[in-house]
Amino acid sequence: MKIIETSRRKFLQGSIALCVYASSSLSYTLSPTKTSKKEAKDVAYLCNMCRNKCAGFARVQNNTITKLNPNHYFPKSRNMLCPKGNAGIQAIYDRDRLKYPLIRIGNRGDGRYKRVTWDEAYEYIKDKLVTIIDKEKDNRSTVAYCNGEGFNKDEYIKFFGSKLGSSNFLDEGSICLNTKLGATQLTIGDIGEMDVAGSDYLIISGANRYESLITPDSVDMIHSKQKLVVLDPRCTVTALKADEYLPLNPGTDLAFCLSMIYIAITEKLYNKKYVQEYFKDFDKLQKHIIQNNYTASWAESKTHIPAKKIEEVTREFFGAKNPLYYLGRRSVWAQNDFQLRRAMVLINALAGSVNREGGIIFGKPFVLKEEEINEPLYNASEGRFDLDGIVYGSQKGGSWLNFREKILTKKAPYPIRAMFIRKHNIMQNMPNITKTKEMLNNMDLVVVLDTMPSDTAMMADVILPECTYLEREDMVVSFNRLEPSLALRNKVVEPLYESRSMQDILKGLGKKLSKPLFEVSAKYDEDLQDSIEELGVRKAFNEGGYDFTELYKNSIEERNKKLIVSQFGMDVYNSLKTKGVWHPYIGKEKELYNDYYEYYPKEKRFYTVERKYKVNCYLSKLEKFGFDPIPTWHSHYDFKLPENSFRLITGRYITSTQTATTNNIMLKEFKEKNYVWINDKVAATLDIKEGDNLVLSSSIESVVIQAYPTNKIAPQVLWFAHGFGTSSQELTNAYGKGASDNMIIEDKFEKIYGCATMHETNITIRKL
Amino acid sequence: MANYGMAFDYKLCINCHACEVACKEENGIDLGAKNHRLWIAEDGETEGDFWNLDREKVKFMQMQCQECQDAPCLKACPNGAIYVDENGIVRLHKEKCDLTLACMKACPYDARYIDESNHVTDKCIFCADTRLARGETTTACQITCPAKLRYFGDLDDTESEISKVLRERKHFTLKTELGTKPKLFYLE
Repeated sequence: MKIIETSRRKFLQGSIALCVYASSSLSYTLSPTKTSKKEAKDVAYLCNMCRNKCAGFARVQNNTITKLNPNHYFPKSRNMLCPKGNAGIQAIYDRDRLKYPLIRIGNRGDGRYKRVTWDEAYEYIKDKLVTIIDKEKDNRSTVAYCNGEGFNKDEYIKFFGSKLGSSNFLDEGSICLNTKLGATQLTIGDIGEMDVAGSDYLIISGANRYESLITPDSVDMIHSKQKLVVLDPRCTVTALKADEYLPLNPGTDLAFCLSMIYIAITEKLYNKKYVQEYFKDFDKLQKHIIQNNYTASWAESKTHIPAKKIEEVTREFFGAKNPLYYLGRRSVWAQNDFQLRRAMVLINALAGSVNREGGIIFGKPFVLKEEEINEPLYNASEGRFDLDGIVYGSQKGGSWLNFREKILTKKAPYPIRAMFIRKHNIMQNMPNITKTKEMLNNMDLVVVLDTMPSDTAMMADVILPECTYLEREDMVVSFNRLEPSLALRNKVVEPLYESRSMQDILKGLGKKLSKPLFEVSAKYDEDLQDSIEELGVRKAFNEGGYDFTELYKNSIEERNKKLIVSQFGMDVYNSLKTKGVWHPYIGKEKELYNDYYEYYPKEKRFYTVERKYKVNCYLSKLEKFGFDPIPTWHSHYDFKLPENSFRLITGRYITSTQTATTNNIMLKEFKEKNYVWINDKVAATLDIKEGDNLVLSSSIESVVIQAYPTNKIAPQVLWFAHGFGTSSQELTNAYGKGASDNMIIEDKFEKIYGCATMHETNITIRKL
Repeated sequence: MANYGMAFDYKLCINCHACEVACKEENGIDLGAKNHRLWIAEDGETEGDFWNLDREKVKFMQMQCQECQDAPCLKACPNGAIYVDENGIVRLHKEKCDLTLACMKACPYDARYIDESNHVTDKCIFCADTRLARGETTTACQITCPAKLRYFGDLDDTESEISKVLRERKHFTLKTELGTKPKLFYLE
């Protein structure tokens, strides 16, 4: 039977006739192609359908976008647009978009709102905020704010952090990849960038680069001739395409890595010269690994990968010229995630694959100048509390689960009374949705800035409609380290309905808030009172930096021009406006084949840079906090399940970016809902057939989802894609389709970076 | 005037669907999964037990009108609505089509679907009335492809990239035994 989980389209009838056929007859004579005049204009823009920010040209006719095409000037996106990028048209023209400012008239979550003017929305927010901040005696940190979108994040922080004065900013890092960033930073002193294109032997643990595209990594994998080894408890498309697929037990990748280190050390496969020059505490690493006896047969008992295979792959890896163990880029799996990422960094370092072709490179990114702003000081503003009990943690984006838990258990040192949420669907993006709902229900004010009526928007008191990425210019961004470039998102068309850019929204809000909130400070802040006495109200306000609109005095267009021209010159600015991109070799791209290009000449790429650094084998701070200073296996990492249970793992489809795209009417044609993958043999013993409704229960909740029995998943594992099971009825294409993973994933987090561990939930199933 | 064809470096496909979306957006194909000029067929399945999975048989095949030089659809149409244009592309006189569906039945590649907005049968025509008509030299599917696995060009131009790649690499056509002489080639 042909199945729901693969393409619903027509299948090839019969098998492919594999006969070689000569070139077709040359029955037509050569003549130039007919040309016609172009009527449309092409505007260079940057995509925002996922985190990659690929470059494109939008074709515009009569102020309407008719097509999005790839931009061949951008080294990062390699002249391609993925299905989501192509479907961006349906994002701007989605009929479910947030169109006008809205104020809640029903209960939180029931979707009843009234349309208001921008001024009414701002006025409502101002009244609430003044009361809240007054009640908290000018402790600005009672207003938490979060942002799940890369572009504009820093501007958003400047408004709520620098100007309004809150310490409580949260972003997606603690439900995404902070352990990887931290492990790399702490081990080699930089987060680096992986040179996938330059590696001749690539090992990937779990990162599904062919269904969760990252540019340029995914594209480079397709075009490179390297050997690809994939470890995964599920046979993904990346695993299907791998030269070697090593199925393993979930959460046991660390055992594989430790064994690789053991083999490299005992067989002396590592790069001795590099280790001697750069490693710190190599003797401790060596002693630790050998004492623990992380042999290949030990790893086989943990991972289910044959010992011989582990030895073979390890020898091949260390025998390769430019091997790379891919550090991943996805959610955090288990308690040992930081240690897993660190072990991967150490493997690369043992091979000498740092600061060289095909390894983790430091490179030389363009550093853009910061626009300076005057930041007021708030004496009553308290510090963040979500990193209490976390060893490192991100000072910038914090820890979502710890933050939420402290609020719900009343362990926060002060109440969080308000929250501003921008493009961050917190009702769907972190484990245990019930708890997130409870947290929001505790707030006096919830404001959402978004383009779509997400589940989170339905919890807001005020909804401020932001325009989409195709309707605004954003501040110039520096991309990449090996082949660095600048890229600019130009405005393609004017914002539709009454939507506004984030800057315009904050400018309007800032105008309303600055003075009244200054007055609250003046009531409580003695330093400010002194300053007013000395300088007078007006001067104290102006010189103290209390004007929230300071950054937005000039338009984005003017700010970009000033910034780019002063730092790089007019030619660079013109290139960014017309081509969307600039790098030193723009216009000199070399076509390698079939519209695939080389950007920087090879000798000009920043594979190796001057840098003093050490590879830290031993992190004493971790030891001080009771954690392993060197990656170590513990028996509770073993893959063991209670009887009749399954381990739930998550991931996504190539056509969806978390919950952000499931309402897209074009992408819906490919994956309208999710199905749960269950091992075919296990399904047979339980009499579960394709399409059967299953109840999946964890310790916190249950969901109903249709079954997809397959031989592509391990027997004790269940998988279904993230992004579905939307509860907002305003998302008419997505509502009621499939199940939400975060409904049932238990809210556990690791204590080194405070990241949610997504793969530690055991599930029982029942056929409906 | 040209003699357009396409060659697929089909093993590079990761089944990302970019080509399918690009085609629908460029050519204004009706929404709905059943309406499409091109699609990716998953040919073959993984076999065996999970721990010893055989992945060899799984192939992602780029499927669309094969631009047969001896086109069964053209011969089958009772209204003479199907013709070969000056660029060697099998086209349709839309006004002559009255949906007898004879072409759909005759096509061994299942390449046509019913365009319900225009009341005709439709299929891939290499973006002839969109991109090629505007003077562009790429199709929507070819230019957006992350793998750049679609070679599109003039088979009569010996210097074209497609001609070169067909000279240099082994290739096959689909259902060769039917004698339809497709101008779409799959590269080994």
